[in-house]
Amino acid sequence: MSAITLAAWRLERRREQRPGARFVGLAVALAGALILCSLLFVAAGASPLHAFSALLKGSFGSLRATGETLVKATPLIFTGLAACVAFRARIWNIGAEGQVFAGAMCAFWIQHNLAGFPAAVQLPVIVIASIVGGALYAGIAAVLKTRFSVDEVISTVMLNYIIVYVLSLLLLNGPWSEAGGFFEQTARIDKSAWLPVLLSGTRLHAGFLLALAAAVLVQILLSRTPLGYEIKAAGSNLRALEVQGTNVRRVILVVLLVSGALAGLAGITEVYGVHHRLKAGAIMGYGYTGIIVAILGQLHPAGIVVAAILFGALVNGGTLMQIETGVPSALIYAIEAILLLFFLGGWSACNFRLRRVRHA
Amino acid sequence: MLDQLLQASILASIAAATIRIATPLLLAAIGELVAERSGVYNMGVEGMMLMGAFIGYLAAYESGSLWFGVFAAALTGGLMALVFAIMTITLKVEQIVTGLALNLLGAGLSNYWLRAAFAGEGKTPVIPHFSDVPIPGLSELPLVGPILFDQRVLTYLAFLLVPVVWFFLFRTRYGLIVRCAGENPKALDVKGVGVAPVQYAAVIFGGIMAGIGGAFLSVGSAARFVPDMTNGRGWLVIIIVIAGLWRPWPVLVATLAFSLLDALQLQIQGIGLDVPYQLLLMMPYVVAIVALAIRPSRGGAPATLGVPYLRE
Amino acid sequence: MDTTTPARLSVRHLTKSFGQMVANQDISLDILAGELHCLLGENGAGKSTLSSCLYGLYQPDEGEIRIDGAPVDLNSPGDAIRAGIGMVHQHFVLVPTFTVLENIAVGTGSGLSLDRRSALRRIAVICEEYDIPLAPDRLAGDLSVGEQQWVEIVKALYTGARLLILDEPTAVLTPDESRKLFAVIRRLIDDGISVMLISHKMTEVMQSDRVSVLRKGRLVATVKTAEVTRDKLTAMMIGGQPPSAARAQRDTVGSGQVLSVRDLTLSRDGRPALGEVSFDLAAGEILGIAGVSGNGQDDIFECLAGLTTPDSGSIAIEGKALLHASPAEMAGRGVGYVPSDRFRDGLVSDLTIAENLTLGQQWSSRWRKGPLLDRTALDTNAETAIADYAIAAPGPSARCGKLSGGNAQKVILAREFAKARRILLCNQPTRGLDVGAVGFVHRELQRKRDEGCAILLASEELDDLFQLADRIMVMFRGRVMATLDTQAATYEQVGHLMAGQEKQAAAA
Repeated sequence: MSAITLAAWRLERRREQRPGARFVGLAVALAGALILCSLLFVAAGASPLHAFSALLKGSFGSLRATGETLVKATPLIFTGLAACVAFRARIWNIGAEGQVFAGAMCAFWIQHNLAGFPAAVQLPVIVIASIVGGALYAGIAAVLKTRFSVDEVISTVMLNYIIVYVLSLLLLNGPWSEAGGFFEQTARIDKSAWLPVLLSGTRLHAGFLLALAAAVLVQILLSRTPLGYEIKAAGSNLRALEVQGTNVRRVILVVLLVSGALAGLAGITEVYGVHHRLKAGAIMGYGYTGIIVAILGQLHPAGIVVAAILFGALVNGGTLMQIETGVPSALIYAIEAILLLFFLGGWSACNFRLRRVRHA
Repeated sequence: MLDQLLQASILASIAAATIRIATPLLLAAIGELVAERSGVYNMGVEGMMLMGAFIGYLAAYESGSLWFGVFAAALTGGLMALVFAIMTITLKVEQIVTGLALNLLGAGLSNYWLRAAFAGEGKTPVIPHFSDVPIPGLSELPLVGPILFDQRVLTYLAFLLVPVVWFFLFRTRYGLIVRCAGENPKALDVKGVGVAPVQYAAVIFGGIMAGIGGAFLSVGSAARFVPDMTNGRGWLVIIIVIAGLWRPWPVLVATLAFSLLDALQLQIQGIGLDVPYQLLLMMPYVVAIVALAIRPSRGGAPATLGVPYLRE
Repeated sequence: MDTTTPARLSVRHLTKSFGQMVANQDISLDILAGELHCLLGENGAGKSTLSSCLYGLYQPDEGEIRIDGAPVDLNSPGDAIRAGIGMVHQHFVLVPTFTVLENIAVGTGSGLSLDRRSALRRIAVICEEYDIPLAPDRLAGDLSVGEQQWVEIVKALYTGARLLILDEPTAVLTPDESRKLFAVIRRLIDDGISVMLISHKMTEVMQSDRVSVLRKGRLVATVKTAEVTRDKLTAMMIGGQPPSAARAQRDTVGSGQVLSVRDLTLSRDGRPALGEVSFDLAAGEILGIAGVSGNGQDDIFECLAGLTTPDSGSIAIEGKALLHASPAEMAGRGVGYVPSDRFRDGLVSDLTIAENLTLGQQWSSRWRKGPLLDRTALDTNAETAIADYAIAAPGPSARCGKLSGGNAQKVILAREFAKARRILLCNQPTRGLDVGAVGFVHRELQRKRDEGCAILLASEELDDLFQLADRIMVMFRGRVMATLDTQAATYEQVGHLMAGQEKQAAAA
């Protein structure tokens, strides 16, 4: 036999993760995402440096810009937390999108009958109603899962599509239409129900504080309470939890209710904090982006707050980027998905190593 | 007499619309069926269809050839499926999350690219679309002729794929291997057949079919691209595969059932019945949930569907 | 055996490690043509790793493998198959929805079409030559465990195996089926095929030509079976004297029925799983359940633990009927349950020891301070359990997924023993444990019994039952064949009953 030695490489799964590998993977993923985004900028005829600097300026360049970034981050913190609670239990609630709608609609439904009441009455009602609305809408998926064994991924996605039409039905020549209005939207909400602005000169509203409080509460829920214990167990081994005497149907229901409630809150921060009227455009897209935020935040409340602010910055800076470089701001949504893919791949790649396979 | 004629012509137009609406769903569903049979839950169909629709439109617009558009759409779907396969089969990333990422990528990228490519033009230009190709002889059959045999080439292709894929899955050596990968991948591994190549092939086939299905929406019938024009069809495809018990013929039946519903809805809108159109539009999604909730049989799913294969 | 007989397989200096753990260290052995070679060792001794290396599932870190004198690289099972190696895995790898023919033929052959006719012919030839009964058109899912074993063997022979590795083939067979298996193995050997049998059952080991003993990843020795005794082999395997297996004599069987089961009937997926099962269990008594796995033992446990509701029949604890109780209610009645699949049913890998010890009781006021979990109470509880049960773990906050099988079982025992005020249900508590851990489980069960707990114990190891049980109930196809007094019963009698043979059992 001629002595030809072939070297082949084999991808092997690591048995134990090395602590540093995760950061290396993260850095590589970030670099990859940056390069791909730069290529997209070049393809759109803009200098990447110019585009990135416009993004930065647009998001943190001034007090007003920073405030706006946090405004954009607020609903994403809520929907990110919603995904976090569910995904940790391996319950795939893809329905935050619809639950945001449900929260906003439920709050508006009750609040628009309260005209004339003081803010001290209206604001708590709005908050509670949005929680109830989001939770109930997620509850439909929970009942479908626990009683009819309908996969939650599919039911929540279907519910996302359905509620858009429900809202349209109510807004277009419906009971909530703006009198004499042309667009699919409600009339402007009375100032007494607006979420108070925190920082004059910006649009930053009290919803942001509510979101931070929610993040703290979710952290406590996950790490310190029996429900958090159940979420952790359900995410690892639902069957063992059931065998050992826990009613897992209840766990699934409660997790989805909590997740839906968090998503519902994102509905009111937009309607009562930013747009001051209910319309689909005000609340659309936060549910799906929240899932990306949750995963980039490593399903950890603190990480989610950081990721949400990053995404708020991207969306906010995207506007200035479009003005300064002519790159359509729609690119931001593609960048978000690319970030997600690179991070997922990068983290996962940390679990592998390349190994040289010996040949005789 | 006139009444009856009207009835018959309405029925015929509903039937023809059903077949047309079924085409993209069927193309993607057959692809998803093969992917799921190999054990991989491709949740990125929606994104693959959407990108297929967009790239198909763009390529057809730039090249002036509709078939080049279809080819480009197939390539796009296949490429996205390759990304999905690398992430889920090799790197073992959660299939649901990866699928979702691809859906968001499809929505974001098509939306952005559309604006970048047609900046300044208020509306995206309309391109010619595929025309009907009557099959000589058969299309002249009374009643069924114009419905079944006066359709587009991609429609014939979609319906032909049902028996072809059935034959492949249940009568060939490779079909047995694909099904084995979905039922018990270890049984393949211990025979010296690599599981990953089988799943890669099945997923990429699924992506190509989703891409072509998407292209049918843009270059096949609408003659233009509208953002988010798939509007949940990719998810409907996943539901169709479940309702079709992971078998080609029942998948065809499920596709036709959903398409009929859509065709009826269009017809009702067309004749101006006083039903809010939103109610009609949400019907397929409501029916999908109800169908899944009351489906009599829970069987048929490949045993290791969605479970990544690890040797240990 | 003549030294000039060519070695079918030679392993030289094979080392395989997983991270820090060395599973096989410097192993060298030969398997001769036409030899029945037994690989003997305790759980965790490295038998499975070695056989996986030989079948190309793992790649050794160092060492060489030769087939008929020529070095081979086994980078995949495909390489092993091409080298003439076949393997029957301990857990069968069959597709239940495929026919026997499809299971055997999948992944073989060439071209597009599936040539059923030639496949049928080849299967018929193999079955005839080695006297294996097989119906190629039946669904694999409809076959008994013994029949599935035949499918696996034919599968390996179909790919042209000249060396057959059988991984614990008799763990799931009745004594009768395993006799038949050995008859087939004899025919294979006569035909020049080498068989490597992985086992820890002495009766089987003694039928081999040579034995290689593994201990803690190293080869202790390869010996001719005719030249050693059982005791010698056992000593080599565990590296010391085996613990005495003598059964402690006991006269005091407790009185007072605690558990009473009548006519329990259950069907699963339209098939009968349990048929009119009745028995009583007294305080301070151990009732053993013998049977080949899959004959209804798991179903009895699931009914009693509240996981499955039987179709008919009655379950009463201290006279109180409880047919539709939930797992939580059963636990509330003082029933502890040690499930057979500990990592699937008993533990949550991502939770800590402290958390797993309170699994199912997370809402109990004992473990809470207001709405929050009481970490101090959880940790104190875990520290006590770690000390009492000698759990080898860094501390209460160690994740259970990192524990060995024996230590994981100890966590479950600690939790369930605390719950079992009246009744302890133990399904296969010693499965997959090494000798030391088995001894520990035995002592703990005896202690619990002496405290007056009523224990239902199912085990595939008859040794467990004969050493611990006061009575042995034998299950076959979901029915109770007989309930015997352990003092008066023999292994043969129980073996026949396990195979569904009443007459021979009566005669024995």
